[in-house]
Amino acid sequence: MTQDSEKLSAFLDGQLSVAETEAIEQHLQSDPELQAELEALMGADQVARDEFDEMIRAPVPLDLARAIQEAPEAEVANAPVAPAAGRSWLAALAVMLALFVGAAGGYWTGQSRAPAVASAPGWLQDIAEYHAIYATQKRHLVEVPASETEHIQTWLSNTVGAAVAVPDLSGQGLEFQGARLLVAAGKPVAQLMYLDEDDRVVALCLIATDTPRAGFAERTIGVFNMVAWGGAGANFVVVGDDDRSDLRAVAEAAATQV
Amino acid sequence: MGQNVSDLKREMIALLPRLRRFAQTLTRSAPEADDLVQDACLRALSRASLWDPAQPLDRWLFRITRNLWINEVRKRQVRMGSGHIPAEDSVELVTTETGEARVAARQLQGKIEQLPSDLATTLLVVSVEGYSYAEAAELLDVPVGTVMSRMYRARKTLARKIAETGGGLQ
Repeated sequence: MTQDSEKLSAFLDGQLSVAETEAIEQHLQSDPELQAELEALMGADQVARDEFDEMIRAPVPLDLARAIQEAPEAEVANAPVAPAAGRSWLAALAVMLALFVGAAGGYWTGQSRAPAVASAPGWLQDIAEYHAIYATQKRHLVEVPASETEHIQTWLSNTVGAAVAVPDLSGQGLEFQGARLLVAAGKPVAQLMYLDEDDRVVALCLIATDTPRAGFAERTIGVFNMVAWGGAGANFVVVGDDDRSDLRAVAEAAATQV
Repeated sequence: MGQNVSDLKREMIALLPRLRRFAQTLTRSAPEADDLVQDACLRALSRASLWDPAQPLDRWLFRITRNLWINEVRKRQVRMGSGHIPAEDSVELVTTETGEARVAARQLQGKIEQLPSDLATTLLVVSVEGYSYAEAAELLDVPVGTVMSRMYRARKTLARKIAETGGGLQ
């Protein structure tokens, strides 16, 4: 009996021979008990897949991604030093988004950074962790490509809970690449990715808020410059490398379109 | 070469969610799983020259992860005085966490968490990661018949729990 049941399970996995598969299929047609057992096994598979799916959504610790990213090249046989592309994004975007999320909570006062950090460790951790994964993805920079801009706007607006429009920043030399959804302690953040002609990334992030900030604020964090502002129901921030002097113009151009 | 290594790192980082899930299913402990994944990735990087880019990176890393874990389990068994044990049984070893830490660190969800590690791991690699029975047998170092019987026992156990509790994610 167990052997038959094992075969039924293997049948589900497509691991039986043609003859065995046909035999099971034939039995199934005439044996309600076997059908019920198959359904129970399929139900188990569904629960397993749901739970395993749930596990994969858990944020990855930043330390883990960093340990791999920073593994000394000396450990790698015959490998010359590789460019640390993406690494700076990793750390600095985490910091930037930490502040950004603080801003969404009303902590972007321009005076004290400590309360934001102290009050929202969960958010910071989440954002940093997601970024440990995404910020290094040169070949997978975005989740949804620019070719699906209409979908991006609908999808992110519905998810983030504020109107997400994709600004045309070609006047600033930036080409839209696509978008990502980030999640910070359960709060969704829309991230629109742009590349300049040197393939440097400029990101525009948006988070819904009831208390949008007034005016533009500029900041340099680590190797990044950013410009934050508030709009209807949302706070925004534009971020790019710290040698860029055009982010204020980018932000102002974006602000007229979002 | 350097470019290959940074590509490799990028791909590894992208695989982290799946590697962690695999390691959590093996170890039943989130902190141990992260240590294990880190060890496995560093080990893989130190042997990058052995990796054939034509082979899927995920499967190579799963194998390294699994082998490191088995070595760890065996070391602990020896320290605990139980001597050498067959690989097939060794994954059942309990980890060193206290009950409280165990609960705090739990990552496995609901019913899967209640499955023995060997059943859950087999179910993961076959049902979710898409290994054939033969591939799973090779990864887990057990006969194909064992994979088949584990798949059935895993499903049967889950089905029973679903029948008891009414099913779904709790």
